Amino acid sequence: MKKILISLFMIAGTLTGFSQNAADTLQEKLGLLNGRLNALDERVALAESDLGKLTKIKLSGYIQAQFESYQSGLLKTNDAENSFYIRRARIKFTYEAADGIKFVLQPDFSTGNLSLKDAYAVASLPKLSALSLYAGQFNRPNYEVEYSSSQREVLERSRVVRSIYPGEREVGAKLEFTPSKVPVKLQLALLNGNFTGKEQKDADSKKDIMARAVYSLHIPNAGIGIDMGAHAYYGRMMAKNKYISNYSNQMDSTDSNSGSYMDKQWFGGEIQMYFDFLGGTALKGEYIAGKNAFAGDSKSNPNKIKQFAGYYIYFIKNIGKKNQLVARYDYFDPNTKLSGDDAGKDIFYQSLALAWQYYLNDFIRFSVNYEMPWNEKNSAYPEEIKDNVFGIRMQAKF
Amino acid sequence: MKKNKSIMLLALAVIFITGAAFMQQIKITVKGSDTMVILSQRWAEIYMNKYPSASIQVTGGGSGVGLAALINGTTDIANSSRPIKTTEVEKIKARYNTLGVEIPCAKDGITIFLNESNKVKELTLKQLSDIYQAKITNWKQVGGDDAPIKLYGRENSSGTYAFFKDEVVRGDYAASCQTLPGTGAVVNAVKKDKNGIGYGGAAYASGVKHCMVKKDANSPGYLPTAETIAKNEYPISRYLYMYLKNKPTGELKKYIDWILSVDGQKIVTEVGYFPVK
Repeated sequence: MKKILISLFMIAGTLTGFSQNAADTLQEKLGLLNGRLNALDERVALAESDLGKLTKIKLSGYIQAQFESYQSGLLKTNDAENSFYIRRARIKFTYEAADGIKFVLQPDFSTGNLSLKDAYAVASLPKLSALSLYAGQFNRPNYEVEYSSSQREVLERSRVVRSIYPGEREVGAKLEFTPSKVPVKLQLALLNGNFTGKEQKDADSKKDIMARAVYSLHIPNAGIGIDMGAHAYYGRMMAKNKYISNYSNQMDSTDSNSGSYMDKQWFGGEIQMYFDFLGGTALKGEYIAGKNAFAGDSKSNPNKIKQFAGYYIYFIKNIGKKNQLVARYDYFDPNTKLSGDDAGKDIFYQSLALAWQYYLNDFIRFSVNYEMPWNEKNSAYPEEIKDNVFGIRMQAKF
Repeated sequence: MKKNKSIMLLALAVIFITGAAFMQQIKITVKGSDTMVILSQRWAEIYMNKYPSASIQVTGGGSGVGLAALINGTTDIANSSRPIKTTEVEKIKARYNTLGVEIPCAKDGITIFLNESNKVKELTLKQLSDIYQAKITNWKQVGGDDAPIKLYGRENSSGTYAFFKDEVVRGDYAASCQTLPGTGAVVNAVKKDKNGIGYGGAAYASGVKHCMVKKDANSPGYLPTAETIAKNEYPISRYLYMYLKNKPTGELKKYIDWILSVDGQKIVTEVGYFPVK
């Protein structure tokens, strides 16, 4: 009996030893697997973090390839009367670092015109997310300037906007306030003021100020929306020499003119109306008037001060999901103080543009556009200038 | 004879094409809010049973995705669990020269999900904000056990994400908040994690505990029920919307009128949301 008990104890001891060993081995394996799992977790977290960074980068852009046919009025001898060309080829890189913090870079690669269009940072201010600070190179605060070329219904902007906002962009800082509860947008910008797309730094020490306010009135039951606003520009430009030609084209060559500042001040009122009537319909217009200054470099090309006025009116009608008919009338007088022969080359222009847009799908849009400008006649331009332009554009956007 | 045959074939072809055109199904596409997918699918199924000529295709993806599809012209209806943003209205204006049409079609109370073993029964809006900004990180700070809080939420394309951020978090979500695709996934995560907290549409809540929400420390706590939402007592209630490019006409109008009818709104209640009428 004793022997049996001893044998049983020995077997139990051996079995316990075996099960202890098995448990140890299992524990070891579990530990190993746990370690591997943790390592995998770390790798997944790292991969997620890397992928997370990638999702913050957004790429968009568009290419506008077009064919244009020109009337001969402004062409030089042997100039082509028609041409294919790339009007715009842009890629926009946007990096959204965090909510309300964004960096934007947009070069334009169109042939022979490689340029930087946008390069700015935006930061929403802490505890006041409706207020954003922009710094860098960005669009000037004006409706037609800020309305993207990829969305615009005619091929080019109106003459007045092209004249006072060349290249559309400026370098400086801008505050934008868009409260969530009130349908207004307020913009205030401090700008170099002399940017045409080439200058790295300002030409003078005075900075220009631009302000714009827009109120949106929506009447949803009637399908009507009205955006109305105004913008003002207050700036100055330094005369680099003593020759200043005033509003009446009279030369002032007082010695103290050199280094003095010429005013650039104007005011604009805008309205955009949208009607949901048999498909979308829009009527948009803006009037801008004031005084502008231009830098000169010699007596024969003096600094100039001019009083200008201009406006544009768009009528846009959507037909179904894919078609859009557009008419735009625009007017621009570069020097309202002078007319007839006194105006010299500063004649006023009126222009009618007719366009048809066809949206093939999300990415492709075709535009057919005919622009018919007509000019003031005087001794410098006794005849109507034959400068109508017919254009067909294919736009690919992503 | 040959000529007669050709004429007959041509006539048959015309009849076939005309017939096919008449028999062609009316197709409506609906895209957007994941919160609204179940509701939208139920509407579509019942409507198609009632009107077999209609074909309604419903997909999710999030409110932002639906509104982007509306702007691109790839959907007729965008479902959204948040109001449309100003930037999105601007894009509709630019492309279609309208303001878009907003149709509130149901009401929802954003439910706070807790694991069934969690002792916490109610939270104030301020506590929820602090929890989701990681200012409160342990359940004992709000009357629960001494355990770290695990945050679950929605992806940033979701209308629920945006609504909760604007109305409750009122700041940035904590980096530790794990984002999941769909309220169903949030509910599942909280069900498995005893320290988890999540939020989402009322229709998805099963197997988890609903947390009462208080406007502030002195207010009573409410659960999202038809009554508390109708009386505006539940502090995190919202409308669910459908957005269109233009005023609806034809079959689209018929479908939307039906959704807003007594029959359509009955389905809202069946699915777990709350009717607008």
